[in-house]
Amino acid sequence: MNELGRRAQLSTFFRSFLIQGSWNNRTMIGGGFAFAILPVLRKLNKGNPNRLTEALQRHSEHFNAHPYLSNLALGATCRMEVENRTPEEIRRFKAAVRSPLGSMGDALVWVGWRPTTVLASLILALAGAPPGITVFFFLIVYNLGHLALRAWGFRAGLEQGSQVGDSLRDAALSKKADRLSAAGVFLLGGVVGLALGRSWAGESWPIILLAVAGGIWGLWLGSLVGNRVWRWTFWGISAAIAIIFLVGWVG
Amino acid sequence: MDLLSLTLLGGLLALDGTSLGQFMVSRPLVAGVLTGWLVGDPVLGLLIGGILEVYFISIFPVGGAEFPEGGPPTMVAVATGSMLAGPAGVALGTLLGFLLSRLGAFSTRILRRLNGRLVPDPSRKEVTPSRIIWAHMGGVALDFLRGCLLSLAGLIAGGWITRIAEDVWPLGMPGTYVLLAVGACIPAGAFVDALGGWRRRGSLFGAGLSGFLLASFVL
Repeated sequence: MNELGRRAQLSTFFRSFLIQGSWNNRTMIGGGFAFAILPVLRKLNKGNPNRLTEALQRHSEHFNAHPYLSNLALGATCRMEVENRTPEEIRRFKAAVRSPLGSMGDALVWVGWRPTTVLASLILALAGAPPGITVFFFLIVYNLGHLALRAWGFRAGLEQGSQVGDSLRDAALSKKADRLSAAGVFLLGGVVGLALGRSWAGESWPIILLAVAGGIWGLWLGSLVGNRVWRWTFWGISAAIAIIFLVGWVG
Repeated sequence: MDLLSLTLLGGLLALDGTSLGQFMVSRPLVAGVLTGWLVGDPVLGLLIGGILEVYFISIFPVGGAEFPEGGPPTMVAVATGSMLAGPAGVALGTLLGFLLSRLGAFSTRILRRLNGRLVPDPSRKEVTPSRIIWAHMGGVALDFLRGCLLSLAGLIAGGWITRIAEDVWPLGMPGTYVLLAVGACIPAGAFVDALGGWRRRGSLFGAGLSGFLLASFVL
């Protein structure tokens, strides 16, 4: 994308890290999208403030996608602006990609990559790694994937413009998300196994039995209620801790 | 560690949660250890951060869903936990972490409404470059301020509660761990359910559990 120049491209890429800065219920990340694409629009509409305002107007409309994968739409939109596509074409493209980019990003990153790297770090901690190593490992591994995804998305978008769907298909993100989910469940089992193994050595049998029985009940209850169970768990455990404190205080 | 440094750390952690980068510095595990370093007890930071991390494992910030906040609450949890010795610190820290994470979600809802007023409505107003920059950076600044206020409120409340709660936690370390571990298994079960359920993924969970349990005995 020589027409854009390296500076405008880099500036847009770095601004994409702030794309959720003005998240709101009306335009969602629309304001962030306009903020990120501004250097490219400035470059393309140099000396024509009216056209720049018109372009900004369109790009600050409602848009939402996964924050990392939104770079794909951002790069593709930059290319479409360079190719002087009509506002309607650009609007249609953004409307068409926002849902797939949202759902694929959620499955790949929030459900797949993040829990997998977090659980691998917890295993490291349970195996006796010092806090610094645990955190360093998590941040490095997680962000290698994070930054690679952002950079790949932006470049693929810039290179292929409105045809960026081909890149998405070739990348087979859903398959990767499924493999990561499988790894996540395996590692969750590993965290439970290591925690159990560690307590085995130091605790008395009644305590271990209580933990095992309670743990099985908890796993069953969680899978029965599903994803919204965190609300009840947060309140339930908070209430249990508060009651125990109260009992200790009164007693 | 002074109140100001912890409050500013809370603000930065809030920014990482949504507005700036999402490098996952705001995950309970990381926020816990960072705060642990600041208060001089990184192991406690890892312990409370690790416990809260498992409770957060099944929470996915998909779409515009409201979800509990992890960063500043974990910071307050560790800072408060470090003021009490032993299991009482872990229990009180975790309790504060849970309560503040809900308050964080509530304050995020208010922030999103404020952002809606800040960001120019393209169907009504002219969107100039300066307007978009000010609105956007204003949203980021508000998020930082929100994180600072949430952290400050939590730290003040934590300092006050530790004075009342000192020496009143009746459970020992094993009992406290069992309570928190059983609770953590509930979101862990929801996590397995979200990732395909026990029928599809149960054998993988079992393989991980038995493999690492065996490894913990062997090594």
